[in-house]
Amino acid sequence: MTSEEPPLDTARHIRYWQRCFRSLLPHHYVSNDSIRLTLGFFIVAALDLLSSPSSYSEPPRDPLKASLITPDDRKRLRAWVLSLQHPQGGFCGSPHHVLPEQYATKWDAINKVESARDPANANIAATYFALLLLGIVADDDGSSAFEGVHRIKTLRWLKKLQRDDGSFGEIIDEDGYVGGGRDMRYCYLAATIRWALGGPEAGEDFDVDALVAHIRRGQTFDGGVAESSMHESHAGYAYCAVAALSLLDLANPNAATQPNHYLHAGIPSVSSLVHFLACRQFDYLDSSSDEENAEPSTQPPPDLSTLTLSDTPITAGFNGRLNKAADTCYTWWVCGTLTMLGEGRVVDRSPARKFILEKAQHIIGGFAKHPGGPPDVYHAYLGLAALATMASEEGQDKEEGLGQFDPRLCISREASERVAKARETLLAPPEDESDDDWGYDTEKVKQEINWDETQKLIARLEAKWKAEGKIPVLEMDKWNPYDPPNLEELAAE
Amino acid sequence: MPPKNKGGGRAKAAEPAQQEPPKQPQTVRELEWQRYYDTNPHQKAYEELGLHGMTPADRQAYLNQEYLKPGAAKTLSNKAQKELWKQLNESNLPLRSLPRPRDSHWGRDKNGRDIGDYTIEEYGAHEAKTTKLLNLFFQSQAFKSKREKASNGDGHLVGDTVQPFTCTEDDFEREKVRRKEMADLQQDLYSVKTDPYALDPEWDDVVPIPQVEPEGALAAIAYPDEYAEAMSYLRAVMAVKEHTPRCLRLTERIISLNPAHYTVWLYRFSIVKALNIAIPDDIEWLNEVSLTYIKNYQIWNHRQLLLDHYYPTIVTSPSEVAALGDSERQFLERMLEEDAKNYHVWSYRQYLVRKLGLWDEEERQSIEALLDEDVRNNSAWSHRFFVAFSDPAHATPGSHATEPDPRVPAGVVDREVAYAQAKILLAPQNQSPWNYLKGALVKGGRKLGSVREFSEQFVTNLGGVGDAEEEVRSSHALDLLADIYKEAGEKEKADLALRRLGEKWDRIRKGYWEYRRKMLE
Ligand SMILES: [Zn+2]
Repeated sequence: MTSEEPPLDTARHIRYWQRCFRSLLPHHYVSNDSIRLTLGFFIVAALDLLSSPSSYSEPPRDPLKASLITPDDRKRLRAWVLSLQHPQGGFCGSPHHVLPEQYATKWDAINKVESARDPANANIAATYFALLLLGIVADDDGSSAFEGVHRIKTLRWLKKLQRDDGSFGEIIDEDGYVGGGRDMRYCYLAATIRWALGGPEAGEDFDVDALVAHIRRGQTFDGGVAESSMHESHAGYAYCAVAALSLLDLANPNAATQPNHYLHAGIPSVSSLVHFLACRQFDYLDSSSDEENAEPSTQPPPDLSTLTLSDTPITAGFNGRLNKAADTCYTWWVCGTLTMLGEGRVVDRSPARKFILEKAQHIIGGFAKHPGGPPDVYHAYLGLAALATMASEEGQDKEEGLGQFDPRLCISREASERVAKARETLLAPPEDESDDDWGYDTEKVKQEINWDETQKLIARLEAKWKAEGKIPVLEMDKWNPYDPPNLEELAAE
Repeated sequence: MPPKNKGGGRAKAAEPAQQEPPKQPQTVRELEWQRYYDTNPHQKAYEELGLHGMTPADRQAYLNQEYLKPGAAKTLSNKAQKELWKQLNESNLPLRSLPRPRDSHWGRDKNGRDIGDYTIEEYGAHEAKTTKLLNLFFQSQAFKSKREKASNGDGHLVGDTVQPFTCTEDDFEREKVRRKEMADLQQDLYSVKTDPYALDPEWDDVVPIPQVEPEGALAAIAYPDEYAEAMSYLRAVMAVKEHTPRCLRLTERIISLNPAHYTVWLYRFSIVKALNIAIPDDIEWLNEVSLTYIKNYQIWNHRQLLLDHYYPTIVTSPSEVAALGDSERQFLERMLEEDAKNYHVWSYRQYLVRKLGLWDEEERQSIEALLDEDVRNNSAWSHRFFVAFSDPAHATPGSHATEPDPRVPAGVVDREVAYAQAKILLAPQNQSPWNYLKGALVKGGRKLGSVREFSEQFVTNLGGVGDAEEEVRSSHALDLLADIYKEAGEKEKADLALRRLGEKWDRIRKGYWEYRRKMLE
C-alpha cells in the first residue's frame, strides 16, 4: 500500500459498533425479529475483530482486557445465546421463538425418546450463528465454549434437515417436512455445524456425498454458482458452496493425503468459477443522482472506443450477479471465496479497498450497502470482513486496527481458533461415561419412577381432555407440580 | 365526672387554607373539608383557639367528640364511659363525625391533575364514568359466566323445566360493543390502552405466552405493543397447534408485521389444510402480501406449498392446469415489473415451469419480451438457458449445466447460438449473451472455434501498432478468443489476447488475466 491509500478510521467504526451493542433497536426492526441472533452476531463479531490480539500492532499482554467485549459482557452474552437453545437440539432465532419447556418437549412413549413439540422453532442459521458466537465470547482458549450445547441432539436434528437430494432446509416441522428453499446457504451452515460439533466423530453424520453432489449441481453455465441447479449464478452462493466444501475438507480426517478433496469434488470447474468471480468487479463511477436509499441503477458497461490509458485511479466496486449494481457485501463474498480457492491475488486490493473506504464508509461509522446510503450491521461487518481478507493475501500490508480473519467462518482468526478448540474438547474422549445429553442417566431415572406407565396414563388423559374439547397442556398447567393429582383416579373419572 | 384531658391542650397549627373553608365550596376537596367541619362542630374552635382558649362547654363537647372516635372510649374506665355517653346524649353532637380528610387520597388523573381539584360538576362526570365502567365489568363477567355454562351444557330452571344456557350471536356482539366501551372508558379515565385481542371475546380462552427475556439481551428490539401482544397470542395457539379461522387471521396479522417470521408460514399452511381453505383464495391473499414485501423469502416457499397441495386436485383437468399456469405467469409478470431481477421470483418461476410443464413457446416469448426491454437482464438470460436446455422433451435428465448433452437437438443449439449472437451485436460489451453463447456451445458439444469469425469482428489488428492500430469493441470477445485460440493450439495468440486485456482493454482485472496466462501453460 502506498501512503495515499485512505486509512480505515477504526475509532469511528468502534463507536458505531458500541452504539449498536448498547442500544435498543427501534420498532421498525420488528421485521428482523426472527433473526436477532444474526444481528447480534454481526455486532459482537465486529467488536471482536476490531480488538482481537492481532488487531494490535503489538500483541497485548492480556487479550481479554484488550478486547472491546468485557468479561461481564461475555458471561451475559453466553447466557443469552444458550437461552435460545432448543431443549431438543438446534438454536432458535430469537426469544420469540423460544417456548416454555412444556411446549417445547414431549415424551414419545412408543419410541421411548424425548422429542420436540415445536421442532420448527430451531433454525439452521440461528444454530450456526449461536455456535460461532459461543466461540467468539469464550473467555478461555475456547475449551469450554460448547459446554451446555446439546451436541448429539443438534447433530441428529441437523441430519433430519437434509433432503433426499442432498440439499438442506432451514427448519423441520412435526410432520417431518423440511422447510426453506433449496438454498446454497443452508449447505454452508450445515457443513459448519457438522464441523464445529464433530458430526462424524459423534456417529451422527449426515450424507456428505449427497451434499457434495447437490453443491456440484449448483455450478452454472457461466462458471458461477446458483442457489441450486440451473438457477442464476450469484457470488453469495459461490461463497456458500466453496466455504461448505472447505469445511468438509477441514473436517476430513484424511486431509493430509487428500487436501481439497471435497472442493474438487464439488466444483466441476474451478477455473471458470474464478472467471465468474473476477468478473464481479468493475470500475465504479459515481452516478449522477445521489438519492438516499434508492436502489442505484446499474452502470452501463464502459464504451471501449473511448477508453484511454490516462492513469485515473480506479475504484473497484463488486456486484453479486452480472449487470447488477455495486454492493459492499460482494467485495467480501467475492474476495472471501477467491481466498479460499487460493486465488485471492486475482483481485487488485487497492481499488477494491478504495470503494469500501471512500464510497461505502459512512460518516457515523459502518458501511452502507450502496454508496450514499445509511450503514447497516450486515454491510458494516462484511465491509470489515472484506478489508481483513484482502490484507491477508501474501505480501500485503496489514489493515491497521483490524485483526486477522478466517474466511471460512467469517470471524477473526483468534475466534476461529477458539471454535476449533471447543470442537477439540468435544472430540476428546470423555473423562467419565456420562454423555452430555444425559441420555443414559435419564433411562435409569425413568425406570425408577415408572415413567412408561405414567406416560400411558397421561396419554389416556390427553385423549379424554381432547374429547371434552379441552387443551391438554393447559389442563396440566393447573397441576401443582409438588402435589400432582392421582393420575389413575383422574383417568378413570 | 367528665373524662380527663390527658394530652394537655395544644392546638395543632393547621394550614390556613384548610382552616377557612369558603362558604360555597368550589372543588370536591373544599366540599370534603366543609363536610368535615360540619360534622365536627368544635374542631374549628379548637384549631383556632386551642383547648385553653375554648369555652368550658365547647371544650367538654370537643373532648367528648374525640372519644367518639373508634376505640378511644375504651381507654376510659367503665364509670367514665357511662358519664361520656350521658353527656353525649345531652349535647346533641352529630354522632357520625367524618374523619379528617387526607389530602393525598384523591389521586391524580391521567393528565396528572389532582382529582381533589375537580369542580363538583367535573367530579360528578368522573364518578359517572367509573360507575359505568364497573357496571360494564360486572356485565362482562356475567357474559363470561353464561358462556361457560352454555359450553358446559349447564341448565337453569325456567318454571318447571330445565332450560340449557345459551350464548347467542347477539350476546357476542353485545359483548364486543361492551368491551369497546370499556376500553374507551379505560383510555379516557386512566390512559390505559386495552390490547385488541383482550377486547375480543373470541380470544378469552387463550392464555397468551409473552416473551421472557433477560435484562441486557443482545439486539433487543423496542417491540410495539400491538406486535408483542399479537406474538404472545400466536405463541399460545401455535404451542397447542390450534387450527381455526381465528388463528388464520392471526397469522395474517403477524405476517403483516413480521413477514420474515420463519414458522408462522408453515403454521398458516397447516391451518389452510386443516380448514380445507380453497387454495386459490390463499393465493389471492398471498399476491397482495408479495407485492407489499417484494424482497421477502418465505412468501415463495409458502406459494410452492400451496401449489404442491393444489396441483394434484386439478391434475386430471387440463383446462384447470392451463388456467393455473396462466394466472401464475400473470402474477409473476406483475412481480417482475416491480423488480425484473428478483431472485426469488425467478427461482419460483423455474419451479413452476417444471411443475406445470411450461416448456413452451409462450415461456420463451415472455423472456424475450423482458430481454427486448433490457438486454442486460442476466436473470432472464439464465431462465432462458434453463428453458432451452432442461426441457425433458429433449434434455438428458440431470445433465449438468456445464457439460454437453448429446440429446439436445442441433436445431435448439443453432437457435440459441443465433439468439445470443443477435443480442451481442446490439451491445457488444454486455457480458450476459457472451456467457450464454459459450454455455450454448458447450451444451451442444460444439467447438468454441465455431464462433471464431463472429468473435473476431469485434477485434481488429490484435497487438498491432501504428497504421494497423489494435481496436477492440468488446473485451468479452477478446476473452472468448483467448479460449478459442487455446483450443486451436495457438498458444501465443491466446497469450497475446490475455496480455492485451490486462494491459489495456480490461485493466481492472489485470491480476486475473495474469492468472489466465499461467493457465495456458
Ligand atoms: Zn449487500
